[in-house]
Amino acid sequence: MDFALDDDQQLIVETVRRFSDRDLRGWAGDADRAGAPPDRFTHAASELGFFLDAVPADAGPDTSGMLEGDYSHTMRALRGYELGRGCAALAALLECNVEPALAVGKWGSAAAKQALFAALAAGGLATFVHDSRGNVIVTAEGNDVRLSGKLGPAPALATASHVLLAANGVLALVSTEGMRRTAITPSGWRAARWATAQLEAHRVPAEFILSRDPAATAEVLAWARTSLAARAVGVSVAAMEYAEKYAAERIQFGQPIGRFESLIRLRDDAMTTAAAARLLALHAAWQLDNKQPAAFDTASRARVIAGDCVTRATIDAVQIFGGYGFVNDYPVEKLMRDARAFEALHGDERLGRVLAQKVA
Amino acid sequence: MDLFHNNPLFSGVKQMLNAFARQQIRPIAIKHDQEESMPWGLMKSAGALGLSQTAVVDGRKKLTGVEEDPDPKKPKQQARLAVTGSEELAWGCAGICLAIGGSGLAASPISRMGTEEQKAEFKRLLTGEDEQGHVFVAAMALSEPGTGSDISGLKTVATKDGNHYVIRGSKQWITNGRSANVYVVWAQTDASAGRAGVRGFIVARGTPGLVPGRKETKLGIRASETAQVHFEDVRVHQDMMLGGSGETTGGLADTKKMLDSTRPVVAAQAIGIARAAYEILLERVQGGSLHGTPMAAHQHIMFELAEMNMEITASRMLAHRAAWLADHHLENVAEASMAKAHAARTAQWVTSRAMVLLGEEALEPGHMVEKLYRDAKIYDIFEGTGQIQRRIIAKTLTGTNPT
Repeated sequence: MDFALDDDQQLIVETVRRFSDRDLRGWAGDADRAGAPPDRFTHAASELGFFLDAVPADAGPDTSGMLEGDYSHTMRALRGYELGRGCAALAALLECNVEPALAVGKWGSAAAKQALFAALAAGGLATFVHDSRGNVIVTAEGNDVRLSGKLGPAPALATASHVLLAANGVLALVSTEGMRRTAITPSGWRAARWATAQLEAHRVPAEFILSRDPAATAEVLAWARTSLAARAVGVSVAAMEYAEKYAAERIQFGQPIGRFESLIRLRDDAMTTAAAARLLALHAAWQLDNKQPAAFDTASRARVIAGDCVTRATIDAVQIFGGYGFVNDYPVEKLMRDARAFEALHGDERLGRVLAQKVA
Repeated sequence: MDLFHNNPLFSGVKQMLNAFARQQIRPIAIKHDQEESMPWGLMKSAGALGLSQTAVVDGRKKLTGVEEDPDPKKPKQQARLAVTGSEELAWGCAGICLAIGGSGLAASPISRMGTEEQKAEFKRLLTGEDEQGHVFVAAMALSEPGTGSDISGLKTVATKDGNHYVIRGSKQWITNGRSANVYVVWAQTDASAGRAGVRGFIVARGTPGLVPGRKETKLGIRASETAQVHFEDVRVHQDMMLGGSGETTGGLADTKKMLDSTRPVVAAQAIGIARAAYEILLERVQGGSLHGTPMAAHQHIMFELAEMNMEITASRMLAHRAAWLADHHLENVAEASMAKAHAARTAQWVTSRAMVLLGEEALEPGHMVEKLYRDAKIYDIFEGTGQIQRRIIAKTLTGTNPT
């Protein structure tokens, strides 16, 4: 066992951390208020290789930032944690292409690869949607399928050219062309270009159906859960970094409030859970990279604990800030709003676990 | 304890205010949350129900049809009525509940320690409406940028000058801080006297030097206005100082006592938030299915609803006990703190869990449970944080304040 980062990992972590501390944190407040990322965001992130990092290098002429060799979920989890420390909404946009690109790379037909990779290379976005409640009806039409029902809310769906959809055991790449989408701005991840979509017998041609094997959906969910867990831990830690700084400066009853044992406990409990959740997310990522079937379960467990962690840590960070925590001038109320999507996206994680074990 | 029986007075108030909340508050709750606007129209119509801005000063006869027994030794009903009613209003929308009742924060010290002249002046300043047709509201100005939980270090000073006091300082997190027609501002009159030197003053809007500041953008209770207020050498006649000059009572100690009586009411509001989220989840579960099975057939969901019901009920018992003690003139310091701390915790837990159980739909803008989640948090912060409540409870156990 080796917990140390190799030189490449160390370099990427440091680079992303700088980007996150300086740029993402700097943009987070305004992006939240505006409900959109800043103009510079896409360019700055592209320079660092985001958006195309899961697109195979042989997919297009300009291979800069594109994937050579195997994708590293470990690297993605390490980076996701740093991005979560910066801004959950912007992090969601930086990560949303990964599941569609990896899934199409792994199971896609030549037509699916061509469609998605060309769109992404041209600066487009894609997003993964899991129909966790069975809202989407999938009907066969020859080798094609037609989809009806509601998608989302999902981040990046408002601008995405393609959706990687997991519904009713089918994993498909769905073009958003002709899809009736409604852009929305929820309370959390406000800058993440959310939308819902209403599908009415939306046709997916056979060559865009990636898999009918439930194991494929389970694998994509494991990628997504691992990344969500890592980012959720980043948000948790950011909340407590802000709270620690504030508690050291805020004097009440003759001392910095950070010296009161009850507030030390709030912070320490959050950091303890965050440390455990981060290791579990990294473990899931390592299992994914090493093709271990246990990865699916570990990823799910990581999201359970990371979800608990981000909920508790952000609520408690607002508590430490007191009245200042409740107002928009300070960063933590945003984090409390941002926490919700980590537990809600792709469905209630505990419910999924319970139902899976009940059947077994 | 009569609260467990079907007391017709309390159940009548509950029914009336539940109908008001259901028909008039809930339908506009999301709009005022999204717009961050005060529900001025509703605040006016609430007056017709006896929920007027001066209800605390006038007594609650209009609301209940019952005259309180003037004998101070006889049990009262006021605290229990307030707890019963507040749960219903906050069930509709906590922000709107606070907008309707916000003036009560300022009215309370006037009612407790005001002279007849001061009460009349306060009432006069709350009677009528402004040129926009907005009813007049009051603001209690106590907290300061550096003075939240610890109110002993107030920086706002009131300096004697002939028959007047000159008030200087800034206040923060003031409910109705921008819109109020009358302020009850707390200032240090005698630094050497410490807390005993802190007094309340009635200051009318428009008094030179009184400058309403910036309105805050908040996580929740967005229908209630919170703003800074600046006092730049505001001259106030000494007759407008609460507690009268030269006396040692009427100061901050009385204000702290006042918080003991408001905490069960604040607890009841948090209970209203939790109950609202619980009921929306329950309704959704009763009609909903999960991959072809009724949601209500799942222990995963139903046991959590049972747990929510348990905690909400326990919170309500604590709040009603604290109110019952107050109505019977019995000490309720620890009980009031227990009620508030428990209700705040319950509201945060129920709303966040309800969001998880509802899944992605609760992320949609304008979802009531998402709003309730944001509204719940302030109940663990204002009127004494959760830490302050535990400190109060802990002190009753050993007599000392743990740090």
